[in-house]
Amino acid sequence: MKRFIYSFLLIFTIGVHAQEQLPNINLKTLDNETISLRTVSNNHELIVISLWATWCVPCKNELDAINDVYEDWQDETDVALYAISIDDSRTVKRVKPLVNGKDWDFEILLDTNNDLKRALGAATVPLTLVVKNGKIVFRHSGYTPGYEDELFEILQEHS
Amino acid sequence: MSFFRSIPLVAIIIASVNLVAQEDQKNFTQDVLSHLSGSLESNLQWYNNDPEFLEVDYEDEYLRSNSYLRLDYEFLNNFTAGLQLESYEPMALLNYYKGYEGTDLATYYVNYKNESLDITAGYFYEQFGSGLLLRTYEERQLGWNNALRGGRVIYTPNSYLSATVLYGQMRNAFEISDTNLYGVNTNFDITNAFKIESLSNLSLGLSYVGKQEDFSKNPDFINSPNTPNLISSYAINLDADFGKFYTSMEYTIKGEDVAYQDLGGFLKSVSDQFYKGNALLVDLGYTKKGIGINTTFRRIENMSFFAESDFSNPKQNQFNMLSVNYIPALTKQQDFALGNIYVYQPQARLSISEIAGQAGEIGSQIDAFYTIKKGTALGGKYGTKLTANFSYWALLDAKFSDQEQTYDAEFLKFGKKLFKDFNIEMRKKWSKTWNSIFTFQNGTTNKGVFTGEPVALAKEVDFTIAVAEATYKFGKGKSIRLEAQHLWSESFLVASNIANGNWAGGTIEVNLNRNLSLYVNDIYNYDNYVEDYQIHYYNFGGSYSKGATRIALNYGRQRGGLLCVGGVCRFVPENTGLSLNLTTAF
Repeated sequence: MKRFIYSFLLIFTIGVHAQEQLPNINLKTLDNETISLRTVSNNHELIVISLWATWCVPCKNELDAINDVYEDWQDETDVALYAISIDDSRTVKRVKPLVNGKDWDFEILLDTNNDLKRALGAATVPLTLVVKNGKIVFRHSGYTPGYEDELFEILQEHS
Repeated sequence: MSFFRSIPLVAIIIASVNLVAQEDQKNFTQDVLSHLSGSLESNLQWYNNDPEFLEVDYEDEYLRSNSYLRLDYEFLNNFTAGLQLESYEPMALLNYYKGYEGTDLATYYVNYKNESLDITAGYFYEQFGSGLLLRTYEERQLGWNNALRGGRVIYTPNSYLSATVLYGQMRNAFEISDTNLYGVNTNFDITNAFKIESLSNLSLGLSYVGKQEDFSKNPDFINSPNTPNLISSYAINLDADFGKFYTSMEYTIKGEDVAYQDLGGFLKSVSDQFYKGNALLVDLGYTKKGIGINTTFRRIENMSFFAESDFSNPKQNQFNMLSVNYIPALTKQQDFALGNIYVYQPQARLSISEIAGQAGEIGSQIDAFYTIKKGTALGGKYGTKLTANFSYWALLDAKFSDQEQTYDAEFLKFGKKLFKDFNIEMRKKWSKTWNSIFTFQNGTTNKGVFTGEPVALAKEVDFTIAVAEATYKFGKGKSIRLEAQHLWSESFLVASNIANGNWAGGTIEVNLNRNLSLYVNDIYNYDNYVEDYQIHYYNFGGSYSKGATRIALNYGRQRGGLLCVGGVCRFVPENTGLSLNLTTAF
């Protein structure tokens, strides 16, 4: 056990600095184009990144809830939401019909072999990041109903 | 490398950072730290001897943990270097591959990336096409990490061409396989190359994977004159997207590889003949606003593919270690507890036997997504979202010859049924505060899929599941979720404590705010054939998450499967006891 405590202490000494920089990872669009995450963040001042999967109920709850208010968010904060699917080849073909079937209005990207998931150390989904001028300014894992309202307040602070 | 040799590595990084800080060069320190990122995941379990379960051999280690530390450092604009330390102390959690023991450096890499080149030396993860030939990835909850150690170059000279060349040896827990793997993958984006405006996407991919194994190490093949020096496999895939309609096709030929003869439950490798495999995967979809349909067809023949021949015997490799390719079950991935009892396992392998032989599988699934519009009679104020899935999988229809050690499989003929199911899900928002989800699943599965007996001989079991859940929002992040589920299935005798008969289950989850949530749940196998197995699998606990850190504490009995609580889903292995999960990123 000592070894663990030792390792944890080591981590937390450096852990005070939160990960700021977006990892330099390439993702695919639904049209099979390769796009780098850095390009995405350079194109918009304020973005929300949501890591999700077609098999994850809370993820779909979160994106459904955001979709209901997304237009208002865009009007007020000029935010762009990128919902990045971590579905692997078992379920990735469900992404496009699901997104259309649900009538989601935001951008969808694919992280099929989970390069981004690993780089962000996302043990679980959903994972939500707020990125301003290429820097991660807020991070939260999990979704609880009503959380989208708090997320909107955070976006307002940064817009 | 031992624990004490790997710790200095981390210590040096931190020490150097701190030393510089003392010299008042705080800016430099901050600069270094701003380029360093990483994550830590630690899963601790304290197991109890549960009198209700079959006796489990804990080997006197009741407190166990799996921990993963990943560090990445960016430098000189284009470079990234990183490593992953893994620790299984004093022992790995139950049901993990035995090679995961102690603390050690697990993976490391250096990467250079610019506009057109991406070069990695060390460990890397890669997937060609849908992974029918090659996929290396990490899934910690399953103890799965088959990263390749070697080198990889990805060259993307323009917007329509990309080529990957790689060489590597596969990770096997803390060891490395001797087998050499070579890979080439090219992607040609025809829409971009010829500026075709009328198509969203048309692209062509070609892949090659070469496997060079030293057969002299496997006693079954020492005297075999025909062992292949290099097993070469090829794949071609085509993606076309016409806007509303889209299709993708992938065809793979696996080179002559080892196979087994089934001698009444005992698998013996065929030492003087080697067998080709192939796979065909076709997706066809239609989608527009409010509607989406996807159909998948897949036929796989002799497609299990392992880096070393002695790992391809499923009886000796229950963790699927050293698997080179990825053949997932193409059925709906269920996210509620009882939906993970009768799950399908694809049957990719070849085993030759006139009585119990199998050569692969064939089948299809259809997914449909539909939103009933707001303001209509069925849609109500907020709209109603419907999802349906149907799947059917069968053995390939094949004839086997024990004498000749050969087989002959039909191309498009369905053999014995392995699995079929039908799912429908309705999500409905009733008001600003009420939400609900109803799910129904009905299916049939071959018992051999989960009991291990040959599927060609096993009987079937039918099952039906209904789930209803409702969420009420109090506002300000407070909410409560209630869920009830029931599974109906036949009660039958199996060799070990394997699920059967009827089950009932329920969950209450309270979210106090976005950071803190608590839950209680129970699933009860009240109708198990064996009365002693009529067990409650109860659980309670909570999780706290803030920023990049999440801590979860649970106590109870767990069946294997997906557990979704506090807005997060993960796989859990069967156990009884207290568990503490910590994840953080920096």
